[in-house]
Amino acid sequence: MSTHNQGTELDLSWISKIQVNHPAVLRRAEQIQARRPVKKEWQAAWLLKAVTFIDLTTLSGDDTSSNIQRLCYKAKYPIREDLLKALNMHDKGITTAAVCVYPARVCDAVKALKAVGCNIPVASVATGFPAGQTHLKTRLEEIRLAVEDGATEIDIVINRTLVLTGQWEGSDFIKTSTGKETVNATFPVAIVMLRAIRDFFWKTGNKIGFKPAGGIRSAKDSLAWLSLVKEELGDEWLKPELFRIGASTLLSDIERQIYHHVTGRYAAYHDLPMS
Amino acid sequence: MAATRVGPRAREIFTTLEYGPAPESHACALAWLDTQDRLLGHYVNGKWSKPEHRNSVPCQDPITGENLASCLQAQAEDVAAAVEAARTAFESWSRLPGAVRAQHLSRLAKVIQKHQRLLWTLESLVTGRAVREVRDGDVQLAQQLLHYHAVQAYTQEEALAGWEPMGVIGLILPSTFSFLEMMWRICPALAVGCTVVALVPPASPTPLLLAQLAGELGPFPGIVNVISGPASLGPVLASQPGVQKVAFCGALEGGLRLLVQESVWEEAMRRLQARMERLRSGRGLDGAVDMGARGTAARELAQRYVREAQSQGAQVFQAGDVPLDSPFYPPTLVSDLPPASPCAQAEVPWPVVVASPFRTAKEALALANGTPRGGSASVWSERLGQALELGYGLRAGTVWINSHGLRDPAVPTGGCKESGSSWHGGPDGLYEYLRPSGTPTRLSYLSKDLNYDTFGLAVPSTLPAGPETGPTPAPPYGLFVGGRFQAPGARSSRPIQDAVGNLHGYVAEGGAKDIRGAVEAAHQAASGWAGQSPAARTALLWALAAALERRESALASRLERQGVELKAAKAEVELSVRRLRAWGAQAQAQGQTLQVAGLRGPVLRLREPLGVLAIVCPDERPLLAFVSLLAPALAHGNTVVMVPSGACPLLALEVCQDMATLFPAGLVNVVTGDRDHLTRCLALHQDVQALWYFGSAQGSQFVEWASAGNLKPVWVSRGLPRAWEQEAEGAGPELGLRAARTKALWLPMGD
Repeated sequence: MSTHNQGTELDLSWISKIQVNHPAVLRRAEQIQARRPVKKEWQAAWLLKAVTFIDLTTLSGDDTSSNIQRLCYKAKYPIREDLLKALNMHDKGITTAAVCVYPARVCDAVKALKAVGCNIPVASVATGFPAGQTHLKTRLEEIRLAVEDGATEIDIVINRTLVLTGQWEGSDFIKTSTGKETVNATFPVAIVMLRAIRDFFWKTGNKIGFKPAGGIRSAKDSLAWLSLVKEELGDEWLKPELFRIGASTLLSDIERQIYHHVTGRYAAYHDLPMS
Repeated sequence: MAATRVGPRAREIFTTLEYGPAPESHACALAWLDTQDRLLGHYVNGKWSKPEHRNSVPCQDPITGENLASCLQAQAEDVAAAVEAARTAFESWSRLPGAVRAQHLSRLAKVIQKHQRLLWTLESLVTGRAVREVRDGDVQLAQQLLHYHAVQAYTQEEALAGWEPMGVIGLILPSTFSFLEMMWRICPALAVGCTVVALVPPASPTPLLLAQLAGELGPFPGIVNVISGPASLGPVLASQPGVQKVAFCGALEGGLRLLVQESVWEEAMRRLQARMERLRSGRGLDGAVDMGARGTAARELAQRYVREAQSQGAQVFQAGDVPLDSPFYPPTLVSDLPPASPCAQAEVPWPVVVASPFRTAKEALALANGTPRGGSASVWSERLGQALELGYGLRAGTVWINSHGLRDPAVPTGGCKESGSSWHGGPDGLYEYLRPSGTPTRLSYLSKDLNYDTFGLAVPSTLPAGPETGPTPAPPYGLFVGGRFQAPGARSSRPIQDAVGNLHGYVAEGGAKDIRGAVEAAHQAASGWAGQSPAARTALLWALAAALERRESALASRLERQGVELKAAKAEVELSVRRLRAWGAQAQAQGQTLQVAGLRGPVLRLREPLGVLAIVCPDERPLLAFVSLLAPALAHGNTVVMVPSGACPLLALEVCQDMATLFPAGLVNVVTGDRDHLTRCLALHQDVQALWYFGSAQGSQFVEWASAGNLKPVWVSRGLPRAWEQEAEGAGPELGLRAARTKALWLPMGD
């Protein structure tokens, strides 16, 4: 991330003044999904754009260096080369925005990316992910270690105990959730977060990034997320510095849709490489 | 690998991330037009009718101008044939058990569900409206309307006992409308057993398609008939002998007025403009479009308004992704319009919003209520108390709190003031097509001899007719206005005769100035009375009942003087007392809470006073009719100006003596004099909010004509007598329905 949130004086009145019209938010969420269909070559181009926003993620207890390596390869070559050629997009250097792993796998990821000659950032979840219920000392140490290992982006689980008691923290990016909750990225919640980002920008001129994560699996979903950000914040937010999608299986569905767009056929499972 | 099907554009779009076209195929709409050989006639009695030697009008795509079909224009005989078909269908349809009608309406809902793509593409194609608006809104609501009214038909025998269907309903639709507006009127009419003839503007295929879908359902052809023709056929339809009621429908929603509190003005304008910038206009059949187009006429209207507003000093903001060519017009925000400029008073056209600032909620209410329109409004505030205060105070048929544009079949939608006084949906919508059982059908007879210019204009001179000989003490002389007896402006009197032609007494001869004074007094009392609790209203009506009981002998002897036997006279006084008590008790049971699908939170169905209600009492039953009309009016919170029986106003004046001591000044005002003249003054008074007239057919015709000036709700008797002593006609639910108007107050919840 190029620019950082320089921070402002904490003014809790900004937060206490916020009012959310819940039914209206639900309505808007429904509208955005229904009113902005993107078809044909627009769809293909948007999907490729969506690829460049993906934090390609694996957060499993059984992650090892081999599947991290596979993930990194996929991050570098997210869409089959011949499909990109057909779209005349092979020279655009399309990769995912980052790979996102557990702190202990950062080393593997950095090594694997280096091996395939890819300079995209490695993001690490940290600070007692996903609950964040560990001591401040170990959480800080966790961040330090991940950075030492080569992570350049850290997804911090904020201390929700503090939040729920009204003690907030600042950040460069806000994320809908860890992706490990029962309910993760939903449109209504996203609308509220995006409007908070907009208000903050109007007040301070600082642009805060947005990352929905968890449950975004289909290409269609990703298109809706793009139009949501476009509608609520505008095109200037549609770049990897300010918008990421945390996902693990989304990429393969996007590739399938691109395959269909290029060939007119639906891909068989074995037609596309796994990540 | 198969051959590529991709053009060079993807590269470009990848950089710009623009939206592309998302065209909805309208092949099925065209295919349907082809089944009619692109020539649409009328759909009458379950069949297409394409009479020869008729003019035809092209139906064009409003965006491309492409000719889609020709539409035959009806003539008077086609209208007559459609009414005849509806009349024949009414004979059987109205006699069916409600359950059978319910089943038929449900089947129609299913047919719409099956053919919804055809419906929405056709509607969007010919009207230019955004397809998502038709697809996600109108088509779904049309089905809900049918389902809701199927349930109403099913329970009709029980829930609406004592009412019967009116008969054939003539429906006249304006030049721009959604087929949904037709459904709001057709569904309740069909549910209660009426049949319909709809006159739609020259090129409107969707209503014809709906009629065809209904007609092809089978056993009941002729319940919905659709003819298309010029607006000049409206009077022809209205004057058909078989038509029992004519329903009109307003044009599509126009522009909006937005009132924003000064303290948040800058912020609200900034957000509004940011949101407007993201709106997309385009061909209605594009799925990614927020706004379609409504044709060149609508564009010109908007253009003219905005230009004028600019020349009158307004600021204009236009934005959005809008094609430059006609008929598109960008969403437009007009602000800083001087309040006294003509544009500030004029109706705002679509797609224009006129924003003005206000200082306090009270001022906002005054601004919002200060227009002749009263359809719907929304209130946006996080202060619930204040939002409710405004919601109750707004003179509009529908008020949404922190939401806008929600509709549901169970919620009555209507308006007040010039937005009309009829209701669609909910229980109120059903009564529009019902009449109390046993009451005569509408006579479509309109007298051509009635001279509107001279009716009731001159007051015949009255001369002294000897000394008064009625029972003593006589009521004080004068008009009962503003809580006391006042001398009439004309300073003359009229003699009242008894049953055998002797002089019974003199009453004051009221005139235009007295009516003006009475209406003013009633207005002054209106807000106080409307603000009274129901219990307070009950108490006052019961107090009047007790006072009448004490006055029984005086009242009975005056009735005797008018030729009523003593026993019957006493019974009449007793019944009048009972009426007051009964309506007093009902004052406490008003309104209800509705629960609708798709909304968390209640919708309040409020019954609000009409305001100043003028009542011209019948000549017969000088006491009972007077009280039977007064009681429901007061129970529902109205203040009244009454013209008592012309034959014997003395009984009403007797009652006034008690009202003078019991009631707040101006709550009830009684003006005696020449009935026709007083009726004329009341009907032409723009600030009388409703008028009931019980008298001659000519007087009724005049009242209906004159009241069109401010579209006040009227109730006229057309010269037909009413059985005041009977429960149904003298105290039935019809009176309660007429005495108040409904407001739907939407209260969405959310954490």
